[in-house]
Amino acid sequence: MREAGIMLISTALTCVVIGNAYYQRKQFYPTVVHITKSNPSMTVIYTQGFILAFMINAFLRKIFFGTLRAAELEHLVEKVWYAVTETCLAFTVFRDDFSPKFIALFTLLLFLKSFHWLAEDRVDYMERSPVITWLFHLRVATLLNLLFVINIMMINYAYDTTATKGPSVQLVFGFEYAILLTVLFNITVKYVLHTIDLQSETPWDNKPVFLLYTELIIGILKVFLYFAFVTLMIKLFTLPLFALRPMYYTMRDFKKALHDIVMSRRAIRNMNTLYPDATTEELAAADNVCIICREEMVTASKKLPCNHIFHTACLRSWFQRQQTCPTCRLNILRPTPNNARPRQQNPPQPGPQVPPQPPQAPGVNPIGPPFHFPVFWAGLPAPGMPPQQQQQQQQPQQQQPQQQQQQPQNNAGSTPPQNPIPPTGNIPLFPPLFPTIVPLPPIPVPPPNLIELSEEELRAMEGNLRQAVEARIQTLQRIQLLLDAANAMMNQYQTAAATANIPVNNTTSNIDSTSDTSTMPGPSGTANTNDGINSDRESSQVKVENPPTPSTSKENTPTPSISKEDTSACNDTVDLSRTESSSEQEMLRKRRLQKFSPPPTE
Amino acid sequence: MAGSALRRLMAEYKQLTLNPPEGIIAGPINEENFFEWEALITGPEGTCFEGGVFPAKLIFPPDYPLSPPKMQFTCEMFHPNIYADGRVCISILHAPGDDPMGYESSAERWSPVQSVEKILLSVVSMLAEPNDESGANVDAAKMWRDDREEFEKIAQKLVRKTLGIPP
Repeated sequence: MREAGIMLISTALTCVVIGNAYYQRKQFYPTVVHITKSNPSMTVIYTQGFILAFMINAFLRKIFFGTLRAAELEHLVEKVWYAVTETCLAFTVFRDDFSPKFIALFTLLLFLKSFHWLAEDRVDYMERSPVITWLFHLRVATLLNLLFVINIMMINYAYDTTATKGPSVQLVFGFEYAILLTVLFNITVKYVLHTIDLQSETPWDNKPVFLLYTELIIGILKVFLYFAFVTLMIKLFTLPLFALRPMYYTMRDFKKALHDIVMSRRAIRNMNTLYPDATTEELAAADNVCIICREEMVTASKKLPCNHIFHTACLRSWFQRQQTCPTCRLNILRPTPNNARPRQQNPPQPGPQVPPQPPQAPGVNPIGPPFHFPVFWAGLPAPGMPPQQQQQQQQPQQQQPQQQQQQPQNNAGSTPPQNPIPPTGNIPLFPPLFPTIVPLPPIPVPPPNLIELSEEELRAMEGNLRQAVEARIQTLQRIQLLLDAANAMMNQYQTAAATANIPVNNTTSNIDSTSDTSTMPGPSGTANTNDGINSDRESSQVKVENPPTPSTSKENTPTPSISKEDTSACNDTVDLSRTESSSEQEMLRKRRLQKFSPPPTE
Repeated sequence: MAGSALRRLMAEYKQLTLNPPEGIIAGPINEENFFEWEALITGPEGTCFEGGVFPAKLIFPPDYPLSPPKMQFTCEMFHPNIYADGRVCISILHAPGDDPMGYESSAERWSPVQSVEKILLSVVSMLAEPNDESGANVDAAKMWRDDREEFEKIAQKLVRKTLGIPP
């Protein structure tokens, strides 16, 4: 409505101006001279020219694009403002060349640019539109051809002018049209790819890859063009401020294209090498809808280490953005030997990369903290763990060789057991899963080294005299000490084995259960101690029901055998600890929420 | 074959039409353009938003579902997690990587597993239980924390407004 009003007023003004001039001069040439000599008349004429140009532009737009969508209009307005600002900046450099002709050329350039932008939007929209009519193809194809011809013509013209008359503002035009030509090339490639894709019945998996490479090539071309232009401008005139913004954006786009290509290549490589194709049984067994595109998976599907299955093409486009499993967020760039493990804590560095070493000597130092410890507990002392052991854990790995020498004696039991204090001081972070061992009526279990006792010692243990009782207690204490030592040793075995990734749960749990039962008749503190030791390893507690095998620790040296059962057992443990840690996180979260929660309102 | 984003949006639309979740209606504004949806959310029962019907707009990016859509209420809203202009601030609508509030873990972020239905259900639960930790609307967050009665009064007024009943 407003446009129509402006148009009418402008047309009326033009008529008045021309009519007035003709009325005064009566003849054609004097009229023209009169109009060109008077500034107000020229203003009116120029305005009319502008409005005509806009009308032609609007008309052509209507022919080629029909009604613009809201998003397209928004893009257009945004880009036009930048283009106008930059054009004004360009005028400052070429103020000597300022003339109506150049304004006309710049207007033409602006309109052509707007057609390129709209064409790009339209071609992008092809992928998102449910219906593509023949009219659409006809319009786009004609427009692309037309724009191509115009661009070539304008570049030619600019080249000729520069070659014959020396560098002028035509340099800017020539360069701008060259850039538009690259844009046009990009649009054309996209259009062709989309058209081919639309014709086929099945999704074309490689299209995104082609698009990425096109973008990269166009990016290189554009960056090269901008550099050439800026260098030329600096040499011939001055720093072209108006070219800096588009140059920056071009370089940024190029960098992004490069990054995308690298990521895409990495994702493809990972998928081809690391992950197996999902078998037909797997596809049939699981709910075989790809969670990314919500379509059924028939072929070309990959299975991630976390057992989630997706379309190869869907995964690839997701992996370009993020290297995680879409469902469980398992980081796929950090392949870990154990399938179920990696998700539990997402350590900032790659997990323990220690090569598996067989436990050579008794009391091998644990390498790093035991892996089933949730990461946020690493700083806290493990509940019920002998303090010395904790220290060892925190020690850097370099000190191990010397440590290994001292360890065996320490643990063999020449020193008193390191954990005679029941762990009451420590806050039990895990409620023990196994009910605390109630001191049962003493069951006479024969100590393993009974045969070695001399006759005197045996006799000393008989009777009710104080001496006899003391001797008995002493023997029991000795046994307890041995067991404690064995227990500590097994602890270390387990942690060492865990870091080296040898599942040893079954064997160690046997030991624990043995020691539990055998120390029961001992002083009441022992049971608690063992309990404390166990509380940091739920795994062993869960398995205490195993029949206790009366065996010494030496026979039970964990063998690094990886049977199926063992691995599954290990996975179970990990799952358990993960739920623990998640529930722990939940607790922390709740606490954090409480801190922020409003005071109770009455 | 049409683009994967379009096919997925069509599939979701179908799913939402066949099995609509309670209290939620959503679909493209215009079936020519599946990348702009309108949703109607009823205020969850037992909360101060009960009874209201809140219209919202969902704008999907061309690379959906790899990037999250944007959601904006088109009616007036007063809620700690809704900006004054109606944009919704919940973590599953943020792509991993950008963290406007600086507290979200990546596990709560957008991933292709999410869907329109899940987003809308999250918004319903957000209406029921605002998270005043991330204040998109600081005034609302403060009022929610300090002056619950006043907050509820404002919410009730908005509910009446969406229903076209004079307050």
